[in-house]
Amino acid sequence: MPLIDLAARAGSAVKAFAEASHDLLVQPTLRLGVTGLARSGKTVFTTALIHHLVETHALPAFAPAQEGRLRRAKLVPQPDDDVPRFPFEEHFATLTEARCWPRSTDRISQFRLEIAYERAAGWRTGPATLMLDVVDYPGEWLLDLALIETSYTAWSRATIGGTRRPGRAAVAAPWLAALKGFDPNGPLDEVAAERASDAFKTYLAGLRAGPEAVATTPPGRFLMPGDLAGSPALTFAPLDRLPEAIAPDSLAGLMERRFEAYKTKVVTPFFRDHFQRVDRQIVLVDVLSAVDAGPTALAELEEALDAVLLSLNIGRNTVLSRLFAPRADRVLFAATKADHLHQTSHDRLDALLRLLVSRAMRRTEAAGARVGTVALASVRATRETTVHDGSDTLRAVAGTPEAGEVVGDEVFDGNSEAAIFPGELPAHAEAVLEGAVEPGSLRFPRFRPPLVRPDGLGRPGHLPQIRLDRAMQFLIGDRLA
Amino acid sequence: MTSGQKPRAFRITPELAAEPSVITTPLAARPPQARIVDEPFEIVDAADGVAVPVAPRSRSPWGTLFLSAVGGLVSLGVGLSVERMIADLFQAAPWLGWVALALLGLAALALLAIVVRELAGLRRERKIERLRQSALDALATRDHTGAQAVVQALSTFYADRDTLSAGRARIDAAADAILDVDDRIGLAEHELLAGLDRQARNAIATTAKQVSAVTALSPRAIVDVAFVVFAAVRLLRRIAAIYGGRPGFLGFLRLGRAALAHLTVTGGMAVGESVMQQVLGLGIAARVSAKLGEGVLNGLMTARFGLAALNVCRPLPFVREAPPRLADVAGELLRSAEAEPKS
Repeated sequence: MPLIDLAARAGSAVKAFAEASHDLLVQPTLRLGVTGLARSGKTVFTTALIHHLVETHALPAFAPAQEGRLRRAKLVPQPDDDVPRFPFEEHFATLTEARCWPRSTDRISQFRLEIAYERAAGWRTGPATLMLDVVDYPGEWLLDLALIETSYTAWSRATIGGTRRPGRAAVAAPWLAALKGFDPNGPLDEVAAERASDAFKTYLAGLRAGPEAVATTPPGRFLMPGDLAGSPALTFAPLDRLPEAIAPDSLAGLMERRFEAYKTKVVTPFFRDHFQRVDRQIVLVDVLSAVDAGPTALAELEEALDAVLLSLNIGRNTVLSRLFAPRADRVLFAATKADHLHQTSHDRLDALLRLLVSRAMRRTEAAGARVGTVALASVRATRETTVHDGSDTLRAVAGTPEAGEVVGDEVFDGNSEAAIFPGELPAHAEAVLEGAVEPGSLRFPRFRPPLVRPDGLGRPGHLPQIRLDRAMQFLIGDRLA
Repeated sequence: MTSGQKPRAFRITPELAAEPSVITTPLAARPPQARIVDEPFEIVDAADGVAVPVAPRSRSPWGTLFLSAVGGLVSLGVGLSVERMIADLFQAAPWLGWVALALLGLAALALLAIVVRELAGLRRERKIERLRQSALDALATRDHTGAQAVVQALSTFYADRDTLSAGRARIDAAADAILDVDDRIGLAEHELLAGLDRQARNAIATTAKQVSAVTALSPRAIVDVAFVVFAAVRLLRRIAAIYGGRPGFLGFLRLGRAALAHLTVTGGMAVGESVMQQVLGLGIAARVSAKLGEGVLNGLMTARFGLAALNVCRPLPFVREAPPRLADVAGELLRSAEAEPKS
């Protein structure tokens, strides 16, 4: 095993060296990882990023665009042929024509943008190009990286121990009951394994749908199988009452073998081929939903983000590390859906996000990487209004809520506009963790995407955004200087 | 939850939208925003550390009293002697008296004009200082309203410069966008000040070169000293003019004092930046020719004074733009000093 590990490391070092020398000598390339847990807005972010770069809009906080130095950006064939292409055209059409949010990311996808720009005045001037590779993958997969170091027995124990957490008892009860029916020392039985795995998946799905709202229990592929659905590597489950030594021809033996297969066939290749090579990383977080769901959900989210950060290979690059094991030197945490709040509350949202990632941030900064936080809306679906309601003056947002959304006693049909006052975020972020937000005191309905008409010449309209430009400046601005 | 206000929804029907009960927030009418006062982070970090305070100096009241009293006595004496002289002239020949009176009137008029100009210059200088201070405050407290006000004021301050009109238009275009404090101020800095920074940098580099050449060639030390002082004075006025100040004599003294104070504060830090180059360069140059070494040294001093003057005259702190360093304005001097022995 250590020998194979060594060989794998040597292999990835050779690959990294080849890429680094290509980056330095032939064609500058930047690899940007876009991730986030389910429903955090990855697809919308990536679509908006391409849209603004390709259309080269003036974005006030994105210096290359504001200074007019972006000449042209276009989608070109991506470098990795074994990864699906990000279907930008389809998502963009869904956003602007159907005015619906695109379907969510459940697998890894990639695209490459060739950005031609003018260098800022300096000792090197003149035209240049940058290849921007963007890799978009579900954040749930990152949780798996923690499994690489874990054995089957330890993982079983930890997962079953996790059911005892507050608020999980109801969701876990059916699974724990089913677990009693499986004998780890029993004969090797494919059908039993499948039943055990199904019961476990139901439990994981229950956790996701339940009050926790975010999945923090690996394996992430059980919920986001990508193209591996149904394969044996995804058909295993933790078992209770494991013996000290697992016999290879018992049910536990089968499970253990599949667990190891999952690690070597699924997790490690992903880690090696995509994840290790990311230069910049943005982690999208849906803070508002978690606040809405209460302190337990926030705690789960905090833990998940911490796990995500632990698995990232982060730190300041030295000459050697740049050549052989490049690290992500900038990480940005972004609280999405900031357009659900009036801009007067954006600072509070940002403070909440910073509280959630503070543990992760300290560690990342200690490693020498730059970490930022931002409250953004990749596509801004609302405009800001002031509502005078009796004696109250409310800073509200106006947009078109999706069909079936309920606020107070209003039910929306998806066509009429409304001004929504979502409630106020607390002034002190810490108060949220102490349960100061009563259930129901905040309400964030889903809005339909904004109406964007093509202009008179038939060019696609300009998707409005909030602080997407700031995020772009942080992530790629320095490479376009 | 502090306010206890429940989330609620208001349907926007076409009739309602026309009424003022639901209005799109106009920019100017925004009430003070929720202020989260905390430490600046990430990109903002670049902005701190360049605070340029013009330190209010505390003096003992006796010195002021002494100066005022002496000043009063002197003006009384001058007034009395002028009055005597005019009276004498009237006695000698009335027409001489009238001429003297007319001259006195002209002198008074000119004095008034000078005073007005001085005051205007001082006011403009104070305005620049206030702008810089409020920009620093807005950055430190992340105050959005404050940042908007600063950018607006800066745009108005340069309203009479045609070359900046494109930049002003771009700033106006972003006035409604939701921008963070440092992004907004950084944008204004880039659009309005980046070009001026370049001009100021060129002025400093040119002056530094002149000083070093004159020092190297001048026959006597007194000529060096005179030229260094003269060049520094001219440089300070030039930089102030580039950034929109119009210092009169008083304003000039004030600026000069601030620049010197800034120099004493930042001098220590600036040494660390390029001391190796300076010591090495100077060492080699001085060994080749003492006069040449002096020239380089004087040039460096002028450049450093110029940088201090730039910091004092600039209406914003450095947010996004890289602050010019000694190597930017005196790089040629340093290089020439190092290259000298080879040639």
